[in-house]
Amino acid sequence: MTTDDPTASPPPQSNFKGTLFRVLAVQIVALALLWFLQMRYHA
Amino acid sequence: MHWINWLIVIVYLAYMIIDGIRKSKDTDTIEGYFLASKSLPWWVVGLSVMATQLSAITMIGTTGQGATEGLRFVQFYFGLPIAMVILGVTLVPFLHGSGVYTAYEYLERRFDAKTRSLTAFLFLLSRGMSAGTIMAAPGVVLSAIFGFPLVWSVAIIGIPTVIYTMIGGVQAVAWADVKQMVLIVVALVGIVAVLIFQMPVSPDDALRIAGATGRLKTFDFSFNLTETYTFWSGIIGGTFLMLSYFGTDQSQVQRYLTAKSVDEARSSLLMSAYWKIPLQALVLLLGVGVFVYYQFVRPPLLFNPAHEMAVEAERGAAYDALQTRYESTFTLREGAARSVADADDGASEAAAMEAFVAREAEIQVIRGEALAMAEEVTGESSRDVNYIIPRFVLSELPIGLTGLFIAGVLAAAMSSIAAELNSLATTSVIDFYRRWWKPEADDAHYLKVSKYATGLWGAFACVVAVYAATLGSLIEVVNRFGSFFYGSILGVFLLAMTSRAGGRGAFVGLLAGMGTVAAVTFGAPQVSFLWHNVIGAVTVVVVGMVIGGGPEAAES
Repeated sequence: MTTDDPTASPPPQSNFKGTLFRVLAVQIVALALLWFLQMRYHA
Repeated sequence: MHWINWLIVIVYLAYMIIDGIRKSKDTDTIEGYFLASKSLPWWVVGLSVMATQLSAITMIGTTGQGATEGLRFVQFYFGLPIAMVILGVTLVPFLHGSGVYTAYEYLERRFDAKTRSLTAFLFLLSRGMSAGTIMAAPGVVLSAIFGFPLVWSVAIIGIPTVIYTMIGGVQAVAWADVKQMVLIVVALVGIVAVLIFQMPVSPDDALRIAGATGRLKTFDFSFNLTETYTFWSGIIGGTFLMLSYFGTDQSQVQRYLTAKSVDEARSSLLMSAYWKIPLQALVLLLGVGVFVYYQFVRPPLLFNPAHEMAVEAERGAAYDALQTRYESTFTLREGAARSVADADDGASEAAAMEAFVAREAEIQVIRGEALAMAEEVTGESSRDVNYIIPRFVLSELPIGLTGLFIAGVLAAAMSSIAAELNSLATTSVIDFYRRWWKPEADDAHYLKVSKYATGLWGAFACVVAVYAATLGSLIEVVNRFGSFFYGSILGVFLLAMTSRAGGRGAFVGLLAGMGTVAAVTFGAPQVSFLWHNVIGAVTVVVVGMVIGGGPEAAES
């Protein structure tokens, strides 16, 4: 017979809204960096 | 290549195959083989979605594009996060909850059998071809390294991949994708680190040199239908392409149909939305870095070693003269690049950049002559974008990292091809064999047929691969195949969400959409292929709704 390990960490759960917010944040940062590169270095 | 690099390649490939087969538990039913019994966690599905997209073409073709054209290709992906969010709240719950094996199966429930069969056939046609181009990319690398004929290289990659996919099913493919993603990211980051470390100038100076040639121009806000990569083609055309690709293409739909729940399926798509633009920018920046590195370390005049040898053999004297001109012009361009790096005020920097750009243009003229010579001698396309990074990796990277990169390219190719073959087999069996030929057979029979179908599609992809390598930049070939049909198929799925159209409207709309895209392609070839998706989808929706025949029309 097996028993559950109370110290085991739970599997990662998905969280659609939280993920959506982080997706938007990452895109904004990435685009801002690309924009900076263009503004600073594009001749 | 050093034996340590070989060892890395062999160990990694062996591990991929053995682990892939080990993960193939519960694949003795058709649902286990094609949908992993809907048991995969969201992060596995998410990494699998990303890995399927990030193929060897990305590693070779896109980095090469970064070296020759700079960052502007990243605009192509601007629509991806938008498309993922739209799909997450519309089509994903729809398809995941409907209990289908393929996206096209749903179309028969909503419309009719002929709409399902036509869309499934178009998928088989376009993805069958693209599986070949995905296989051709690493074939090109192997050919460049060992001087193999392309046919041999394709066989080395294709045969183990087909065997592994036939045995493992979608579960093995998805878990292999996870490891592939880790390896690819490690290899890319490692190469970027080495580039920064070995670059003779500072990162700031390197960026100024790249910027002088326009390679750091990411955003192009001009609304020009003939320009392939602009902000607007990326945001509008790219969104439609990604909606079509991730929403209606079985190779992607099958990924999220394996997720445990609708919420996990949606989150897996958003995971891809997260990293696509940053990762693509990193890949292109790597190419830009290689371009700057080659301002100080002289690269070969022709990157394709086979063409180089052929030209040396047949036009030795003329090629030697060209080499001499190239070497002296390279020295002048190197001096000009150093002047850009050393310039310390605005006026001297502008003058140095002007001189550098002029020298770069001279180099391009000489390269153009060499490429024309290669084309005359070999009778093949001499475009060598896809050879730039392999040559750089083999000659400039330290022992170990070269092996890691080559293993990454092979693993990327194998995993992407495996996913394609798995989805091609699913559509062949579910949408054609089971639908039209043998609807009442048992699971064991379908499983056996599915494995045969995987093998046949693998053989077809190998044949296409042998010819695809001569078609030009591989990344564009794949996208062009898709854009012929993608928009129109998306239009059918959009129609399915309305109540205005029925089977007749959807079918005629689909034909009209494809006809319009074909007319635009041949009648106005200057219109960028990214807009074809918008044109196709809009035509299908408008024609489908005008013809109607849906439930609402029937009621009235």
